[in-house]
Amino acid sequence: MGFKSYCFKKSLWLFHFGGASCNNCDIEILDCLTPRYDLERFGMLLVGSIRHADVLLVNGSINKKDKPRLLEIYEQAPKPVLVVAIGACGCTGGIFAEGYTFAGPVDKIIPVDAYIPGCPPKPEAILAGIVKLLGKN
Amino acid sequence: MVLEELKKTFSTEILGSETRNEQRVTLYIDPAALVSMSEHLFKELGFRFIIASALHTRRGFEIYYHFSYDSTGMILNLHVILDHEKPAIESLSNMFESTNWIEREMHELFGIDFLNHPNLEQLLSEGNWATGEYPYRKKFKSKGEAQA
Amino acid sequence: MGTNLFYFLVYPGFLFMAVIGGLLSWFDRKITARVQFRKGPPLLQPFYDFFKLLLVKETILPARGAKGLFLAAPVFAVFGATMAGVFILLPLLNITSGFHGDLIVIFYLLTIPSLSYVIGALSSGNPLAAVGASREMKLILSYELTFLLVMVGIIIKSGQSIDLYQIIHVQQSGVPFIGSVSGVLLFIVVIFCLQAKLALVPFDMPEAETEISDGIFIEYSGTPYAMIKLSKYILFFILPAFVMAILMNGTLLEGINILWAVLKLVAVVLLLTLIRNTNPRVKIKQAMRFFFVWMNLLVIIAIVLAILGL
Repeated sequence: MGFKSYCFKKSLWLFHFGGASCNNCDIEILDCLTPRYDLERFGMLLVGSIRHADVLLVNGSINKKDKPRLLEIYEQAPKPVLVVAIGACGCTGGIFAEGYTFAGPVDKIIPVDAYIPGCPPKPEAILAGIVKLLGKN
Repeated sequence: MVLEELKKTFSTEILGSETRNEQRVTLYIDPAALVSMSEHLFKELGFRFIIASALHTRRGFEIYYHFSYDSTGMILNLHVILDHEKPAIESLSNMFESTNWIEREMHELFGIDFLNHPNLEQLLSEGNWATGEYPYRKKFKSKGEAQA
Repeated sequence: MGTNLFYFLVYPGFLFMAVIGGLLSWFDRKITARVQFRKGPPLLQPFYDFFKLLLVKETILPARGAKGLFLAAPVFAVFGATMAGVFILLPLLNITSGFHGDLIVIFYLLTIPSLSYVIGALSSGNPLAAVGASREMKLILSYELTFLLVMVGIIIKSGQSIDLYQIIHVQQSGVPFIGSVSGVLLFIVVIFCLQAKLALVPFDMPEAETEISDGIFIEYSGTPYAMIKLSKYILFFILPAFVMAILMNGTLLEGINILWAVLKLVAVVLLLTLIRNTNPRVKIKQAMRFFFVWMNLLVIIAIVLAILGL
């Protein structure tokens, strides 16, 4: 493992994009950043601008109106960027999959590196998923 | 006291208990006794089923069933451990309607088999996304740390 | 020529300041984590952040806006911070060189990083960056006057000399300036000026994280952002060192006094961090009123007391 990928893994900056969701997964992602499940000890921070981000967390099903915005956000992120789809709605569309405004789960729009299912996934499950993502590459 | 009376009635099936305070009691039981104990709690003592939660740890698949006694606010947990290879336990959906979806979610994410469940198909995912692969299972090394 | 290059680049120059600045930045994050009942990042975390931004991420230039100025602004910021740092640390570490420790030169060099952030933000063509840049400009207007008046107070107390070597010498052969009433007032005012200069809470409205999505740095990514982070680390080291030089008796580098010097530096950084963790962010109007009215009042009282000899 070279010096560059070591530094990349030790300092991942997260950016959160919420699609058209019921917001429970948003609350669980916010839980991960509180002092109880402290993510800063792994070097992860939440940043406000997509240009500073290394990991794009997407949750929620993607609407027809959200689709061009998600593509725009993905193109604005400086590569290399990892994409994580969180929740049953992010992975497959969940209960919104048969609505008339549904524009496909996240992996039909942008390439995804990790899926974390659950409705909503507990913060421990989100942490386990991110650790698996770090171990893979 | 509810705990003493339960220990007398089911003395062979209860493997241990832990009382954190007056309102939270955990009973570690044999998996085969789940249905009879839940029936006793619900029909004779007046407990209400809240929810069930599952974990995958080094000891096996653990499931907590949470029951609440509404007049005093006490919460009683029944805890079972299933083995690593083929986890299976009797389903409670014939007695409580609410366990139907909870057991479907546990089956989809962990792969626990619930016997005599009326409709054990996947609840959250759409189509054939990840059937047969249970995402929340962990891989443990033989000794040492867990590899998620 | 060779020794001057050594002073500028290695010790007490660029390399020394970058490493110590990174360690102090770790200290700030660790204390913040402890105050919030959690563990913090590991020791080398600021260096991992810097190398990840420098080597791994790509640089994206904005489509509208001046591309050359956008890339040049972080270089100016690092340059200004390094120059000011060298001129502060040479008298502090008691190294004689051709420079006479002029306080006015240091003050002007310290304004270069803040102005280059404004230039960089305005040349990126993003409306949110323009909002952040206007806030930063108003903040600069507010605290620069106060900072200058603090310098006037120091010059009066040290017997009308603007030479940093002389100021440290007067303190070490007498009483450190913080031991007098006017010195305490000047110390309070200069700590608030530092909070504003380093853009720390309660004065971090130019780079508000969730309000205007990282404000003045919204379009920076990759190598230019690594330069900006580096200039922030360097400023986080040299500004408390400056306070140590003008108010707290400088440093004497022998024996037990090395320990006192380190403890004094860490105490000033700890004060900045604790103020940062216990306060909310204020609006730009409130910050301007704070500096123009209350801090200037305190400084003028301190100058009057200094003239009277207290």
